[in-house]
Amino acid sequence: MAVQRKQVPIDGRLFKLPSSPSEKAHLIGSRCRSCGETFFPKRSYCANCTSPDMEEVALSTRGKLETFTISRATPPGSLIQAPYGLGYVRLPEGCIVQTVLSECDPQKLEIDMDMELVIEKIREDEEGNDVMAFKFKPV
Amino acid sequence: MREVVILGVGLHKFERFTDKTLVELGEVAISNALKESGVPFKDIEAAYVGHCYAAMGTGRSVVTQFGETGIPIVNIEVACSSATQALLRGAWEIASGLYDVVLAVGVEKMGTGLISMGGETDRYIVEMGYMVMPASYAMMARRHMHDYGTTFEQLAMCSVKEHKNGALNPYAQYQREMTLEEVMNSRMIADPITLYMCSPTSSGASAAVICAKEKAKKYISKKPITIAGWALSSGTYAREALEFGGMEELAQKAYDRAGIGPQDIDVAQVHDAFSPGEIFIPESLGLIPEGEGGRWIEEEKTEINGVLPINTDGGLVARGHPVGATGIAQVAELVWQLRGEAGPRQVPGKPKVALQHNAGIGGVIVSIYKR
Ligand SMILES: [Zn+2]
Repeated sequence: MAVQRKQVPIDGRLFKLPSSPSEKAHLIGSRCRSCGETFFPKRSYCANCTSPDMEEVALSTRGKLETFTISRATPPGSLIQAPYGLGYVRLPEGCIVQTVLSECDPQKLEIDMDMELVIEKIREDEEGNDVMAFKFKPV
Repeated sequence: MREVVILGVGLHKFERFTDKTLVELGEVAISNALKESGVPFKDIEAAYVGHCYAAMGTGRSVVTQFGETGIPIVNIEVACSSATQALLRGAWEIASGLYDVVLAVGVEKMGTGLISMGGETDRYIVEMGYMVMPASYAMMARRHMHDYGTTFEQLAMCSVKEHKNGALNPYAQYQREMTLEEVMNSRMIADPITLYMCSPTSSGASAAVICAKEKAKKYISKKPITIAGWALSSGTYAREALEFGGMEELAQKAYDRAGIGPQDIDVAQVHDAFSPGEIFIPESLGLIPEGEGGRWIEEEKTEINGVLPINTDGGLVARGHPVGATGIAQVAELVWQLRGEAGPRQVPGKPKVALQHNAGIGGVIVSIYKR
């Protein structure tokens, strides 16, 4: 039986991979205990009120597509090849997430549509692990 | 605080490729600005130099071509608004009484293709393909289309108008008119933004000589133009904002400081890194009613002969966008408009009050100029 390869996030600050099959991956955000605002990616001080009293929170895996574009050019260093969708997804917590979209057909994307977090392999690292990135796809 | 005036402005033509060095580009712009101002270089008390991609110490290399007089020469980087920051840094010091005469400069030489940020960027941001400069304008444009019914044709009309004005500007990188079909059918870069809606990579230089109003009579200059009020921001957090929050408040601050309102603006420069910016930026500044930007461009209200001429020199899209030099090129056009020296681009009716909006990854500026 082949050894199952380990999955690692592209950046540990961004999301948590499930540790068991019953769990789901989720983005990591910060919630300000002072003013209640929520942010992604996580941060040490509140952008809204400057409070250092922040707690790490598991963010909702669904949100609404605030707006989007289809990039027809691959920028230098990008592992995502054009054409690909880029968008902002608004989560129920109020924060906005800049994200790659797994859909790149503009006809299949619509502002305000429901979107869902997906985790996909983007490359392998030096130890042969699968490096995972997050995207959003239409529900 | 003392009033501050612009005595002279100067540019080096913006172009895609150049054999000239940064020092040579800067020398032309500074020499033109000094000539207009009637100020001998030995009277300059400090210089601020905006650039983004140049080597450290570039300001000194450029400015000391005119003499090693020992003045402080400070480099300023605020992305696309670097040159305006340089100008306003000097304006503050004159207003506060520290100096009487300051030189502000912007210089840049860029490569081609999608621009990078230089320096270090988080690896995931690069690998996940976020570094697409047109993407943020594209997403704001798409949201505008969704919310207000703005059309792809209207976005393209901005580019047509920019190129029409650029064709009248000897300093512009692109001096050729473009048809609506050419713009709409050019390569899609980031939907709905096509190639001809993008500002190009450019090289060029800009300069301005500014002075305390009470000392301006010392010099036989062109008509002095007052820097009447300005406001700078790095963006205020706002949950609903896709980019910089607090734009309305920022513009209001500039209007208040200049003692005017948006209805008093006779001619404006807005930061159209991509053509659709001409639709949603003037709305955020209170110059165009919310949601009507598309209709305004279609009804030709922002043309040179329109009710509110915008980007009369072709804007970033046609004039070119050497990032660190762009800000003072915007100012130069407004100075020429207010003096009535803009030639074939001259806004009719002797414009009195002008607005500049210059924005970049580093921050946003709204600045008001008066004849
Ligand atoms: Zn807070």
